[in-house]
Formats: sequence, C-alpha cells, structure tokens
Amino acid sequence: MSIIYALATPPAQSAICVFRVSGEGCLDALSKLFSSELVEPRYFYKTEMLNNGAFIDSVAVVFFKGPKSFTGEDSFEVYAHGGLAVMSKIVEVFDAIGFEEAQPGEFSKRAFLNNKISLSQAEAVSDLISASSKEEASRVSLVLGGDFESRVFDFSGQLDALRVLVEGEIDFTDEDEVFIQNLAGLGADVSRLSAEFCSFAGACSSRKDRFNKPRVLIAGPPNSGKSSLFNSLLSRDRSIVSSIAGTTRDLIDSELVLQNIVLTLGDSAGVRDTDDLIEGAGINISFDEIKKSDLVILVFDEETESSVSFFRELLGEQKYLLVYNKIDVSDKRPLGFDLFVSAKEMDGLNELRKILDERLSVDEIEDLTYLVRERHINIFSEVSSRLDFVSSSIEANESLDVVAENLKACRDLLAEVVGIKTSDELLGEIFSSFCIGK
Amino acid sequence: MNNKYDVIVIGGGHAGCEAAHAAHRKKLKTCLISISENSIGQMSCNPAIGGLGKTHLVKEIDAAGGIMAEATDASGIQYRTLNTRKGQTVRSLRVQCDRDKYKEAVQKIIKGTDIEVIEAEVEDIEIKKGKAEAVLLNSGKRINGEAIILTTGTFLKGVMYKGDKKTEGGRVGDKASIKLADKLYSLKLPMGRLKTGTPARIKLTSLDLENMEEQPGEEPTPWMSKKGKNTKHIKQISCYITRTNTETHKEISDNIKKSAMYSGNIVGIGPRYCPSIEDKIHKFPLKESHQIFIEPEGVDVDLVYPNGISTSLPEENQKRFIQTIKGMESAEITEYGYAVEYDFVDPRALNKTLELIDVENLYLAGQINGTTGYEEAAAQGLMAGVNASLKICKEESLILERHDGYIGVLIDDLINLGVTEPYRMFTSRAEHRLMFSQDNAEQRLTEKFYKKGFVESEQYNRYSKQEEAYKNFKKLNEAKTISAENKNQKLRDFLKKPNPDLKKIAKLIETEDQENLERLANECKYEGYIKKQLREIKRNEKSLKKHIPIEINFTEIQGLSAEVKERLSTSRPKTIGDASRLEGVTPAAISLITVAIAKKNK
Ligand SMILES: Cc1cc2nc3c(=O)[nH]c(=O)nc-3n(C[C@H](O)[C@H](O)[C@H](O)COP(=O)(O)OP(=O)(O)OC[C@H]3O[C@@H](n4cnc5c(N)ncnc54)[C@H](O)[C@@H]3O)c2cc1C
Ligand SMILES: Nc1nc2c(ncn2[C@@H]2O[C@H](COP(=O)(O)OP(=O)(O)OP(=O)(O)O)[C@@H](O)[C@H]2O)c(=O)[nH]1
Ligand SMILES: [Mg+2]
Repeated sequence: MSIIYALATPPAQSAICVFRVSGEGCLDALSKLFSSELVEPRYFYKTEMLNNGAFIDSVAVVFFKGPKSFTGEDSFEVYAHGGLAVMSKIVEVFDAIGFEEAQPGEFSKRAFLNNKISLSQAEAVSDLISASSKEEASRVSLVLGGDFESRVFDFSGQLDALRVLVEGEIDFTDEDEVFIQNLAGLGADVSRLSAEFCSFAGACSSRKDRFNKPRVLIAGPPNSGKSSLFNSLLSRDRSIVSSIAGTTRDLIDSELVLQNIVLTLGDSAGVRDTDDLIEGAGINISFDEIKKSDLVILVFDEETESSVSFFRELLGEQKYLLVYNKIDVSDKRPLGFDLFVSAKEMDGLNELRKILDERLSVDEIEDLTYLVRERHINIFSEVSSRLDFVSSSIEANESLDVVAENLKACRDLLAEVVGIKTSDELLGEIFSSFCIGK
Repeated sequence: MNNKYDVIVIGGGHAGCEAAHAAHRKKLKTCLISISENSIGQMSCNPAIGGLGKTHLVKEIDAAGGIMAEATDASGIQYRTLNTRKGQTVRSLRVQCDRDKYKEAVQKIIKGTDIEVIEAEVEDIEIKKGKAEAVLLNSGKRINGEAIILTTGTFLKGVMYKGDKKTEGGRVGDKASIKLADKLYSLKLPMGRLKTGTPARIKLTSLDLENMEEQPGEEPTPWMSKKGKNTKHIKQISCYITRTNTETHKEISDNIKKSAMYSGNIVGIGPRYCPSIEDKIHKFPLKESHQIFIEPEGVDVDLVYPNGISTSLPEENQKRFIQTIKGMESAEITEYGYAVEYDFVDPRALNKTLELIDVENLYLAGQINGTTGYEEAAAQGLMAGVNASLKICKEESLILERHDGYIGVLIDDLINLGVTEPYRMFTSRAEHRLMFSQDNAEQRLTEKFYKKGFVESEQYNRYSKQEEAYKNFKKLNEAKTISAENKNQKLRDFLKKPNPDLKKIAKLIETEDQENLERLANECKYEGYIKKQLREIKRNEKSLKKHIPIEINFTEIQGLSAEVKERLSTSRPKTIGDASRLEGVTPAAISLITVAIAKKNK
C-alpha cells in the first residue's frame, strides 16, 4: 500500500494542527523530515520539522510501528502550529517526498482492512467515505462558483475528442475517413488544451496561495473613528487615534481572532478630497487595499454621514458593512446602516464581531478547500505539462502510438475527478461520429 | 471412429481447428466433428487475415504454436502492412487470401496430424452431475470425451435474411444447428442474438478494372508466420478500389424499407464497425460516396469480394445498386449478399479458461461467444484447446493476462464485460498497447507455451537461435558511441529520439543487420513506457486481483452513484481490477467496494 497523509484536524486556523501519515516505509522518511533522531515508538518528541534542511515549524512527533497503530501499518503523527501557512508547507513537503494525500476515509478503511476496528465501527466507514467525498465535492464546487466539476468534465471531453481522432487514425487507417488532416494541426490543438489546463491549474493554486486569512479593511471618511474602532475590536492600541482628521497615514494590519475564524483586520487612511501630498499616498493605498479585501467596514459618524453614497459608488461590487459610529454622542439612527456602534464605549462591538464571524466563515471554507485538494492541482499541472510534452513530441515527429499513450495517460489522471473512460466508450464515439466499416 | 477421446472439438471453423491442433500438440487423443468435412477451415466472409488488432492476435497464435499464420502464408495473394508510419506497436500486416487455398492449407495441416475428423452433426451434449461427458451425433452414435470444446460459430439457430426472404442456415450452403441450440437453452445458459452480414460475390471478369484504382501488395512480400514452414509465396495479385456515388445512394435509400434490417425482421444487434451499406447511407446522409475494396477471392477464381457493401436488400435491388458503381456497370453476381442472425452464449458464463462456470469440461470458443472475425475465433480456440488439455493432464492452466498480449485482452474483455455487439479486436482495447507489437509476440509467448508443451521443438529452436543472435547483436553494439549531429552520442540515446534514421545509423555502426537494429531501436524507444507500465502492473497486482464475491450486491453499497451501481450490477466484475476498468468508475468507488467485500468476509 502506498504512503498516505491527511490533516486530522479541521483545515482552519487553530492553536495546533495534526497530520497523520500511514503506510509501510513511511518511517524511513522521519530522519529526513525532523531535526532530531526519533528512537522509541509511542513517545512524544519535541523537534523541528524541516524542508530539505530548511526550518518549517517546531513540532511534536509520535511514531507507531505496525501493527500497533490505528491503521495497523507503520505510521506517525505531527503536531504543528495551526497556522495555515505552516499547514500548506507541510503538505508541500509530504508531496515532495512522494506521500499521497489520503482518499476520503482511507485511514479508517485501512484500519478496517487490517482488522483494527470492529464490524460495528466499520459500518460507519462506508458512510464516511461517501460522506466525505461528497463534502469535498461540494466544497470544491463552492470554490469555483459551482463550475469546478463541469470545467473538469469539459476539459476531459476535449481530451477525449482529441483521443477519438488519434485512436481513429490508428485503428481505422484503411477507412475512408480522415481523422487527422495534418499532424501540425493536432499538435496545435494539444498545445492549446495544455495552455487551458495550465491556466486552470494556475487559477486553482492561486486560490490556494491565498491561504492567509480573509482580509477585512476598515475604511471611510477621515476622522469618523476608524482607528478607534480598530483598536476597540483588537482590545489594544495599535493605531494612533487623534481628533485631527488624516491621522492615519499608513496601513496598519493586525490579526483578529473570532470564535470560528481568524482574520486580518486593516485600518486605513480616511478617504476624501485632499491636497495634502503626504496623505495622498496613504489614500492610494486605501483604494488598493479596498480592492484586495474580502470585506470592508465603512465607518461614518454624524458629520460624515452625507458621504455614504460617495463610498457606495467607490466600492462597487465589493462587499461592505455600513457602520454608524459615535452613538454615545449622537441620537440619530439614519436609515441604511447595518450597525450602530460606539468605538469609544465599546457599544455594539460584540454584534460586529458576530457579523464578521458569520459572513466570513463561509468564505473561509472557500480558501481552505485547496488544502485538502492539493492533489487536484497537482493532477492539473501534470496533465498540462504532459500535454506540452505531447505537442512538442508531435513537432519532433514522434509516432502516433506514443502520442496516443501520452494522451491516454493524461485522461487516466483525470479519472480521479471524472471517472475512467473505457476504450469501448471511446470506440463508440469513433463509430458515432465517423463512418467506419466495410 | 472410436467412441472415446480425450478432447472432442465440435466445429471445424477457425476456433475449432486451433483448439483441436493445440490438443494434438499436447499429444492428446483428439477428434474434430464438423457438419461438413469439406468446409473445414472455411472463411465464411471476407477472404483476408489480419488488420489492426487482428494481426496481433494471429502473430500471438503463431508464437504459441498455432496454425492460422501458417495457413495464411500458404494462401496469401496480397500482403500489405498497415500503419507503417504510426509506430511499430500499431503496425499490422494484412493478408488477402485465396479462399480455397486457405481452406486447403488448414485441411492439409489437420490431416497431417492424428486428429480424427468426423463428418456429422452433433445433436446433443450429455451432462451428468454438472459435468459434460459425451456428445450424440445425428447418426445416433455416442462419443465420450474428457473435455468437449464447442465452436459452432454462427450456426446456432442461424437464420439468413435477404429482403423479405428468410432461410434457416449458418451461412450460405450450410444448415443451422437447431437441436444443439435447444440443448444450450435447456442448460439455462444466458444467451442472446446477434447479427452480421455479407456482400454479394461478383465475377471478376465482369468488372472493368481499368476504371478502378489498383492497389498492389507490398514488396518484398513479407510473411505472417515466423515458423518458416512456407518458403515460397503463391502468385501475388492486386486489389482494386472504387466508390459508390449519388446514384448508388439513391437506389439504396429509395428501397431501404425492403432491406431485412429495416423491415424490423431482425432483432439481433449488429456490429457498429461493420455496418451494411444501408446503414452507412442512412446514418451518414451527408457522405456522398463510400469506398469499396475489390478483393479477389483467389488466383484462379473468377470471383471477387466487394468489401464495403454488405447488404440485406432484395436481390433485384442489390443488382441495381451495384451496377451504378464505377467499373461495376456490367457486374455479374454469382451469390447475393445477406444478413445472418444467430444465437450466442453470453461469455460472462465462462471461466478464464473458457470453460463454462456451470458445466465442467465444456468449453466454448469462437463466434459462439459473441465475437466476430476469424482471428478472434482462432485465438479463443487456441486458449480453450490449451486449457482443456492442461486440465486433462492435471497441469496448471495457462491464463494470459491483459498485459501478456491481445489474447489476454480479448478473453478478459469477453468474460468480464460480456458483449453488446459482435466483439472485434482493436488496438485501442489494449491499455498496454505499447508493450505489444506484431513483431514481439514470440518474446512474449513462445517460452510460455513451449514450457507447457504447445510449441514444437523445431519452432522453439528457431526462436532460441534468433534470440541468441539478437543478444549478441545488442552486446556488440549497444554501448557504441556514434558521432552525429556534431556530437558524440551513445547509440542507445540516439535511438531513443523520434524517428531515427536507421539506414544512416547502420552505416555508422557498421552493421548490415537491419532487422536487429530495428529491434534494438524499438526496444530503446518504448523502454521507458514499458518499464512504467510494468511498475504499475506490479504495484496493483495484488489489489486488482482481489476477488469480488458473488454475494456482493452493488446496489446496496452506499455512496456509489446510481450510474456506477447500474454498471457494476450488469457487468458483475469478478475482481477489483475488472471493476476498475468499468466506465465512469472512480478510485473512491473502488474504495467503497473494497470495504464492502471486507465487511462480507468478516
Ligand atoms: C455471413 C457472415 C458474415 C460475416 N461477416 C464478417 C465480417 O464482416 N467481418 C468479420 O470479421 N467476420 C465476419 N464473419 C465472421 C467470421 O466468419 C467468424 O467470426 C468466424 O468464422 C468464426 O469462427 P468460428 O470458428 O467461431 O465459427 P465458424 O467458422 O462459423 O465455424 C463453425 C463450424 O462449426 C460447425 N458446426 C456448426 N454446428 C455444428 C454441429 N451441430 N455439429 C458439428 N459441427 C457443427 C460448422 O460446420 C463449422 O465448421 C461473418 C460470418 C458470416 C457467416
Ligand atoms: N464620542 C466618541 N468619539 C469617538 C468615537 N470614536 C472615535 N471618536 C473620536 O473621533 C476622533 C477621530 O478618531 P480616529 O479613530 O482617529 O478617527 P479616524 O477615522 O481613524 O481618522 P483618520 O485616521 O484621521 O482618518 C478622535 O477624537 C476619537 O476620540 C466614539 O465612538 N465616540
Ligand atoms: Mg485613523
């Protein structure tokens, strides 16, 4: 059996995360992965995890010798700090040394096959496999707005269409049909498909790179109390507060821990028409930051309330919350605001926290999906580079049997997502679109 | 005629002859029973051997000691290698044969052995306690056998159709086997009906060949068999190519309702890759012309087989449409085309040895298992003959796996997936295609079959010598460095590039042995792919062989999609490997099945 790994804790920011690894031979990797020697099974070792000698994180490790382990195989567990960046680094290292990301429910499956769990427990295993693959599937679709699967199906369809031509050209050579007009055209088609796969894989991994927490930016007109709100939410003074409009010049970032998620909160310079050059720079940053944020908290007070429509327009499609500040000194409750708070008196802040938590934890899953689906990105990149290879081999006059083999290998890689394509089905497509036979 | 044999083969077609000959090579007492002695080795349809995927089968049969390639070489009148520029693994030698000479060659080979040929119709097979024991002939005679191999082709309840005319029979001039079919039904074997068709036969002298494109054979004329039994080719002649036209199409479309296929008489399913001309015109109305190969039936025979216009139209319409074709304006038809519908046994009822799961000692091979084509039939005949013999000798059976060659793919597909249309081999069916070429069948199989006693020592010695020569060639040249393209390169690396110029290389390394150089070049070229596939095969060997017990009810496995459940239930894969080859199956689905099996086993 191959060596598999999986994240055993939820794929979210937390104090610690736990990775499990199982499979014969996995213990051979220990010396490469950790800085100190691990001698005894079932002991906790505090050590450092390394990537080719480079430090990743200080971690705790326990290893088990089969059959005395959960799966019955040699296995080990890594307890690392629960930062998302750390998690994705660990995933990278595991992939690099040839561990495979576990299929849904695979640990339990192995445990069951090795007689480590009972029949009644086993009843749950199937449910687990199907449930978690469903969950994964729905999460994946969430990420790319529901069209992830249909895009992969579309790609594999295009690949199948090329294979129909190549296989047709091989198996029906004596027929009255032209499958491939000229090889250069085939090469161009393959390389176009490769580019599409490549950008698809790229799109997937750029989502992955946004492993960092969701960004929330506090913005609004000068002096409305943005920095005060920032400090109050963080319960400490990070940003300078003053009664002079335009106090905050540079962007200030801090981590805000809520019940379900961790996010990056930013304070920004107030936006207004200004001739002050130094402040101007800060304002530009704000525009930029607004675009990069997942959510913007727009803060107004009684004095600046009239500029709401200006900001609405400015933000366009961007998601935002309208917050009316300084309710300790103002009795007005203008229409259209989401929340009325006093940064100074800490009034309404819990409510604000709750709203942030709810609104962003949905998006949170979105960002994390690719931690568990690292495998898919790898598949798409591999397909893309294989297709590249195919198109250049066509240029170099490679024979069609080898071209066909490489195209088939690409399609086999996609089977994980879209299921296999049998030769009979492929032949069927040839027969239905070409007039074959004597 | 005795009344007791080791192996009884019923049917003298391509399957039957290979089966009987294999048993003979194993030195077993064998008889071959056929309705008509004179039709032994008869090609019912197109007089040609080989084609994509099919040639590979013939070469494998040859490598295993079988007779098909030898008979081909004794009767070949036009040899042509297909796919010369698409890679060595998909190159295929196709041979046009003299129909009568092919049959004669087969009969001569059979007569040269101690196989006893019996002319009779088998009416019944006696089965006691689940074991086949004897056959009953129409003469009333009873013959006992340790193993019985049934290879009756299209004869089971065969019905021929031409327009609205319907005649019983397995092929023109041969009557159908009705009683034997009833017997199989009474055994409650899963059976179905398939159909196939054939075109009219035309007098060569009535055609205007000047108006057609000539297609000569290749030179120098190659051999199909590597055994070296034939040393001189018979006379080589050309085939011709002509085409249908709009007038032809009009005649056919106007009368399509009169075709047996379109009148609703035929229920059997025909092959998608072997459509009648009616089908082609109906399904691809935009295509204005279809190609026809005019294939001579023999050297001294005034007869051609017009390949591409198989039909079941009434005779007068056949004549009319044929005479619209260029060069065929005054075609004289000697026999009209027809469709034939026949019973077949669902091959999922068979073991890997082609023995029926439910009836011990009864083997089925050939078109009776839902295949089509001489080569497919012969390959099964060989394997049924081999395994029946091994069982009688109490030796372990010889199973070819999918990675051993096309025979492995053929039998594996049949017994696991069954057939939905007459099954024909294509190279795309072999997932390890790069491992099999028509030229390496011997290296894959000869040793295996020799060890079990199915390859005669003359053939084996020849093979050993050839391998020895190659080994020496390789040793001598492999490590050579040649200077080309302005740098020094290892011969091996140079050969790995696409399309190496072998003539030039031969000069550089100073060899005249083109054949072995080519072999080395191909070895280098495919090596990487083959190694990778072998690794995969090895890695998955254990898990793929895992048996799926009969009790597993796929519809009860939670988490499988409805489609996958349906597909699993209908094709009932026997192992995890078989399941993983079904359309749309994912690794997650395989996990679910593995767990379901483990649950059952606890
Ligand atoms: C009309 C027609 C069209 C075809 N068209 C094509 C085509 O287009 N392409 C293609 O690839 N293939 C075609 N074929 C198929 C090809 O001919 C067969 O697949 C191949 O010959 C099958 O070989 P076999 O050994 O299984 O059976 P066959 O060659 O059919 O031999 C059956 C043998 O069994 C004997 N027999 C039958 N019943 C009994 C009995 N009760 N007792 C004793 N002996 C019996 C017969 O005498 C015969 O010798 C066609 C066949 C026919 C008949
Ligand atoms: N009464 C009252 N005063 C507040 C509240 N929030 C902020 N202030 C006051 O408003 C003034 C501006 O506050 P800041 O937090 O500096 O405002 P800002 O939006 O960050 O301003 P710039 O950075 O200059 O754009 C300060 O004098 C704060 O004390 C509040 O909730 N109630
Ligand atoms: Mg400020």
